[in-house]
Amino acid sequence: MASGIVSIKVNGRAEEVVTGAVTTLQDVLRNNLDYTSVKDGCSQGGCGACSVIVDGELRLSCLTPVQEVDGSEVVTLEGLNLSNSITALQQKFIEKYAAQCGFCTPGMMVAITALLDRNANPSRDEIAEALAGNICRCTGYLPIIEAVESIVAEMAGIAGD
Amino acid sequence: MAMKDLKIVGQPVKLRDLDTHVTGETVFYEDVRVPRMLHLKMHRSRYPHARILGIDTSQALSSPGVVTVLTHEDLPGKKLYNALAGAGVGPEDEPVLAFDKVRWKGESVAAVIAETPEQANAAVAKIKVEYEELPAVFDVEEAIKDGAPNLTAHWPNNHYVYPDDHRAAQIRYGDVEKAFAEADHIVEDSYQTQPIEQAPMETNGCIAVPEGDGRITVYSNTQALQFSLDVTAGILDMPTSKLRFVGGTVGGGFGGKVDIQPEPITTLAALRTGRPVKFKYTREEEMQVSSSRSAWRVYVKDGVMNDGRIIARKVTTYQDSGAYLRFSSYACMKHCGHMPGPYTIPNVSVDSIVVFTNRTPSNAMRGFGVMAGSFALEVQMDKIAETIGMDPWELRLINAYREGDMKAHRKEVEDAGMVESILAAAEMAGKQLPENFRNMSSLDRKAG
Amino acid sequence: MAEYLRPSSLEEAAGMIAAHGSTLAIVAGGTSAMRFAVPYVAYAMGVRGLGMNEIERSSGGLSLGAGVTMRQIRDSLPIPALQDAARGVGGPALQNMATIGGNIFAHPPNGDVATVLLAMDATVTFFTTNGERTQKLEEFYDSGAQADGLLTRIDCAAPGGELVFLKCGRQRFNSRTVISVAACIGLDNGKVGNACIAVGGAGAHPMRCAAAEQALIGRALDDAAITAAGDEAARASSPGTDAVASEWYRRRMVATYLCRALRQIAAG
Ligand SMILES: Cc1cc2nc3c(=O)[nH]c(=O)nc-3n(C[C@H](O)[C@H](O)[C@H](O)COP(=O)(O)OP(=O)(O)OC[C@H]3O[C@@H](n4cnc5c(N)ncnc54)[C@H](O)[C@@H]3O)c2cc1C
Ligand code: FES
Ligand code: FES
Repeated sequence: MASGIVSIKVNGRAEEVVTGAVTTLQDVLRNNLDYTSVKDGCSQGGCGACSVIVDGELRLSCLTPVQEVDGSEVVTLEGLNLSNSITALQQKFIEKYAAQCGFCTPGMMVAITALLDRNANPSRDEIAEALAGNICRCTGYLPIIEAVESIVAEMAGIAGD
Repeated sequence: MAMKDLKIVGQPVKLRDLDTHVTGETVFYEDVRVPRMLHLKMHRSRYPHARILGIDTSQALSSPGVVTVLTHEDLPGKKLYNALAGAGVGPEDEPVLAFDKVRWKGESVAAVIAETPEQANAAVAKIKVEYEELPAVFDVEEAIKDGAPNLTAHWPNNHYVYPDDHRAAQIRYGDVEKAFAEADHIVEDSYQTQPIEQAPMETNGCIAVPEGDGRITVYSNTQALQFSLDVTAGILDMPTSKLRFVGGTVGGGFGGKVDIQPEPITTLAALRTGRPVKFKYTREEEMQVSSSRSAWRVYVKDGVMNDGRIIARKVTTYQDSGAYLRFSSYACMKHCGHMPGPYTIPNVSVDSIVVFTNRTPSNAMRGFGVMAGSFALEVQMDKIAETIGMDPWELRLINAYREGDMKAHRKEVEDAGMVESILAAAEMAGKQLPENFRNMSSLDRKAG
Repeated sequence: MAEYLRPSSLEEAAGMIAAHGSTLAIVAGGTSAMRFAVPYVAYAMGVRGLGMNEIERSSGGLSLGAGVTMRQIRDSLPIPALQDAARGVGGPALQNMATIGGNIFAHPPNGDVATVLLAMDATVTFFTTNGERTQKLEEFYDSGAQADGLLTRIDCAAPGGELVFLKCGRQRFNSRTVISVAACIGLDNGKVGNACIAVGGAGAHPMRCAAAEQALIGRALDDAAITAAGDEAARASSPGTDAVASEWYRRRMVATYLCRALRQIAAG
């Protein structure tokens, strides 16, 4: 089988993956590069636990062949932690009890980041729609939506000052 | 004591692992990194009921990447298990790997251990099992009829047998038949619930790692770590001191992770191969193979007076346990005790029966045994209200148990709060109740 | 596992398809192929690198590259029916990946966007080793939906009337499709002049429903005509049963949702 080298930047670091067969981005991130915040809840696009940001866009890493992101920049929750860009959101999650078992939480964090990058002032409905691809079996979603609402309100307050 | 004096009740308590949940640093079993890990995949029965005539693993064994294949012949200790056997409930009726028969579609038959999950899957497809298909039964009432296909000699009539040869968990309190004769109305109906998958976000799974000192460490997301440890020790014929189970971080359970499914066979695989082995259910396995909430069929007959008092209640329940017992006898007992509902009824008779069918074994889910009962009873309460032309809130307030009442299973009610709960709910819902109802209290009879 | 091929031109892609036949799976967004096709073939061919993601608008007509994503439809294509359909396909991550080309090949009951394209009487263009081939989407489906090359473009004229898409789902956002309907109705002096009706999830692929169209043409768009069209569409449907809905329910929803769509058009 002809193999090739896929070059990606993950959380700011250049990585090279040698691969010939179809390999998912999820598999590479979790198993080759040890970014274990990228969860595997279904391997079929149904749960959002594997959400990552590719070139600024939210994607499901379980359905993305790593070959298709050759030359791209990939960001996982580990990368967001590094930049401290979501510390405030994480604090809101803690305050609002927006995580219980925690399995959906990394995917939620990534999806919320992608939402706020596109729309800094989403309505409640827009928040619900933006998180519709991320399943949470524990919280019932309400605390998550409230955490996002309160971070949005806080950001608006800061912007208004 | 006033609410303000309480230091813990009413105060939020932070989850211990919340800080790492939000950063993605919480270590779930699958995040444990071990070198040279193998992967286990299960060959499962395609039939709901069949006799196994032969299992041929030769092609699977020579399939690329395969390290070993395990069948029932490789089990060193017990071939049958039940999680509650250690607690004196049983008997052990469920095969670790099927040998004489398969009794549900999806039952574990042979485990392939290979270098990659893909190689394991490819080899699973090469296992040849010769079956003689047998008639199957899928309905609880069909299953206990004479002449129905029998699943196992453990249960000659396809139902569980409680101590002292009882076919049902039972309550007998007062004289229901006499009360029915005296009642102004008889209200009778049947209720059926469906199996429900708990669907946790993280599927069932574990990683078993052989250690240098001869012990095996098992990283598991089970909700029943102690049961799992005990059962695994029995199946491997190993002292529990040789097994170290690491758990507690569960990516959602809701009862769906009390099955003792992945651990024993994965531990055996690690022992046999001398390498770490991972067994992770796919989402399809989680939905189709892991246990669900049971389906329950509940018959309720009530004798009711014109003034709303329920004077007699007779219940017959069939719990569909699926092919094996698991925790069903416990759930059915709990169901039985719950069945008069939160109401004081002077004449009660309950029979609740665990039935075995050729369906996926069922197990725990939130409100284990109780949910289906509450569903049946509360729909029944609305039906009674409609039949006698009474407000459904008032009907429930009249019958709600009071402090000191005797429940049908002969336990006196303590710390009753039912009336207050209904009244609080009515207020929140904006429901106007007449003054005599608003003034009701759980202490009514004590005071009177 | 399948070997991953990345053609750099349409010619190369067409050549790979011709060379590997049914042992090759095309991966566009991958949202369906990665699960249902790739595990069973020797070659997977990624087509994202080929571009094919242009949206061109000319004299009322529309030309969409097969690689246009649901996100692009929502952001850059002001045709509400197409936007509604794209908005219903999974969640936002999925919409960033899923393409219009892939939607045409989706397994039923999927194919929401394709259902709208059918009601717009779209054509599909394939690039093969023998050159380009263009045919009506309807004909493509009627002839068994067998692609003999790479789907490159979907073209359609401006809708010949009011175009409405409705999807019956189980929840408000990211719902699996029970069935979907699209109707394009041109009114002429209060009477239906032209009608183009398509239903998704009611057969092996999205389908035009001629009997429902005939029930409307030449008549006022009133309750009687609408009900008749709904009944015809239900009769013409042969949906399947799955974990989302039963055949029985789907057939009824075809009538219910088509009537709803037509009433919406009648109300203006
Ligand atoms: C969670 C989830 C929810 C979904 N919800 C919906 C929904 O609500 N409605 C709906 O309609 N669909 C839904 N889908 C199905 C699917 O995602 C969409 O139909 C999507 O549009 C498919 O596009 P794709 O680009 O991902 O196709 P791919 O998966 O890349 O391709 C699918 C198939 O299409 C063919 N194909 C694709 N591009 C070409 C081409 N250029 N030339 C020739 N053949 C080609 C190939 O045979 C390929 O195997 C859902 C999927 C998931 C995982
Ligand atoms: S693991 Fe990718 S969506 Fe579930
Ligand atoms: S917190 Fe458990 S699934 Fe969301």
